[in-house]
Amino acid sequence: MIAVSIILLLLAILGAPLFAVIAASAMAGFHREDTDLMNMALEIQSIADLPFLAAIPLFTFAGYLLSESKAPARLVRVSNAVLGWMPGGLALVCLAACAFFTAFTGASGVTIIALGAILYPALQQAGYDDRFNLGLVTSSGSLGLLFAPSLPLILYGVVAEVPIDSLFLAGILPGLAMLVLLGGYSLWVNRQHRRPLGEFSWRETGAALREAVWELPLPFVVLGGIYSGFFAVSEAAAITALYVLLVEVLILREIAWRELPHVVRQSMVLVGGILLILGVSLASTNYMIGAGVPQMLFEYVQGLVSSQLSFLLLLLVFLLILGAILDIFSAIVLVVPLILPLAAGYDVHPVHLGIVFLAAMQLGYLTPPVGLNLFIASYRFEKPIMHVYAATLPFLLILLLSVVLIAFLPGLSLGLVPKG
Amino acid sequence: MAGLLKRLDAFGRVVENIVLAALLSGMMLLAVGQIVLREFFDTGFAWGDELVRLAVLWLALVGSVAACRDQRHIRIDLLSPLLPEKAVKLARILVDLFAALVALVIAWHAWRYLGLEIEYQDTVLVATPAWVAHSIVPLAFALLAYRFVIGALSSAGERSR
Repeated sequence: MIAVSIILLLLAILGAPLFAVIAASAMAGFHREDTDLMNMALEIQSIADLPFLAAIPLFTFAGYLLSESKAPARLVRVSNAVLGWMPGGLALVCLAACAFFTAFTGASGVTIIALGAILYPALQQAGYDDRFNLGLVTSSGSLGLLFAPSLPLILYGVVAEVPIDSLFLAGILPGLAMLVLLGGYSLWVNRQHRRPLGEFSWRETGAALREAVWELPLPFVVLGGIYSGFFAVSEAAAITALYVLLVEVLILREIAWRELPHVVRQSMVLVGGILLILGVSLASTNYMIGAGVPQMLFEYVQGLVSSQLSFLLLLLVFLLILGAILDIFSAIVLVVPLILPLAAGYDVHPVHLGIVFLAAMQLGYLTPPVGLNLFIASYRFEKPIMHVYAATLPFLLILLLSVVLIAFLPGLSLGLVPKG
Repeated sequence: MAGLLKRLDAFGRVVENIVLAALLSGMMLLAVGQIVLREFFDTGFAWGDELVRLAVLWLALVGSVAACRDQRHIRIDLLSPLLPEKAVKLARILVDLFAALVALVIAWHAWRYLGLEIEYQDTVLVATPAWVAHSIVPLAFALLAYRFVIGALSSAGERSR
């Protein structure tokens, strides 16, 4: 068995598709326990038993549509009208716009491509330091992961069987904490070359809002609908996708009909990759639970740490390493089922665990060797990867600080969630 | 031979796009339709929710076949930046063949399971035979296996050139 694990691990780091590695390990387990491998088919089919999962393809499609339209430019214009007059305002614009956009597009790297292309030159033109700009845009690309209706939040809710609307509420304060810390840092760094206070213009704000009038209702439709009980998350996703499709294709006509198959394909390729891993992980999780892996893990960890505090510390270290090698979606479907019972043993609330998990995984976008944002930024802005590493480091440290705060102040996550 | 493969590839891509678009738009319209029926007419299709969830399964599997063609499957890939070019290509062939083998085994067992569903006359969506809804599982994994073999072959072809 150990030999099989080592071979699989080797294949994984050689670049084998993750689904094949997970499926092979599950099948090896089934085989050893004399379970018929038909179970594999059964587990994969059970993707169709999971509630709310439809939200993932629908939100992803809506997000790709938005990023292919001129919505990113409109979003930047609105944020600039509202925040741009402050000293260091453009940096804040970048943070706010990116967070908002990522929440809607699900942290798949599209933010850097769609918004970075507008913000990076704008920051340069406004005279900010190039290193700062690069770091800011790169790290903003996954900011907003904790805000509804981001895909990782939904996926965690589905996998951990935690109410998704509670997760949406729980992400608000931790997400804001990240924004405030990064915003504060941005203002502090640029304190030397302070620009004169710009003027807030009602006229520009009004014009920007008018231009974005079709996209403005989106957050209200999504969140209002869910919290008023009108519809479930998956239904909100269907409405969002249909609405965005009608607006960008029929009303604003920014996406031509013949571009649609391309947008559908791009978004569904991402979804297919994630859900296939989910399907095979259902099998491997089931095998591991049957084999008593969570209990063994619990006993092992109990030998290491006894208090909730030290457990959280250990968890953080583990998650930071995990985030450096595994993408956020695979990490959720593969690891969450194993650490949920563990966290329960230390009285960590599953909603709190989810927020800590996602916040820590967000750092994974920025850590070598496989941080997705680093590669996208390096490619998009034509900078050597080492240069991007270095530029992102201060932002990474601040995000690390915020993750520590989020982990050890459960009130941040749980304060807004109704007790139940 | 190469020409045939190329045309097959173009054809497959178009089929994938059509199926993906049909599934996605069907799912979207059905879900919105269910809300309209429920909120305004106090009714709805009993099978609506189940059909949406089955559409997710189909989207996931067809999407993953498309991901294979676009080489967009999620991989960890820690070593390839460190290895020489030749070794990377060899590794590529090895891991693609491994993925093909895994997909083939799953396809085979999903096919067996389908036979069982036919034998027991399992149903979904009120009275639809379950094997119709689940036929995508062996089909998609067989296609995945095929695509990974093609991927390995094309890597091998690059090497000899």
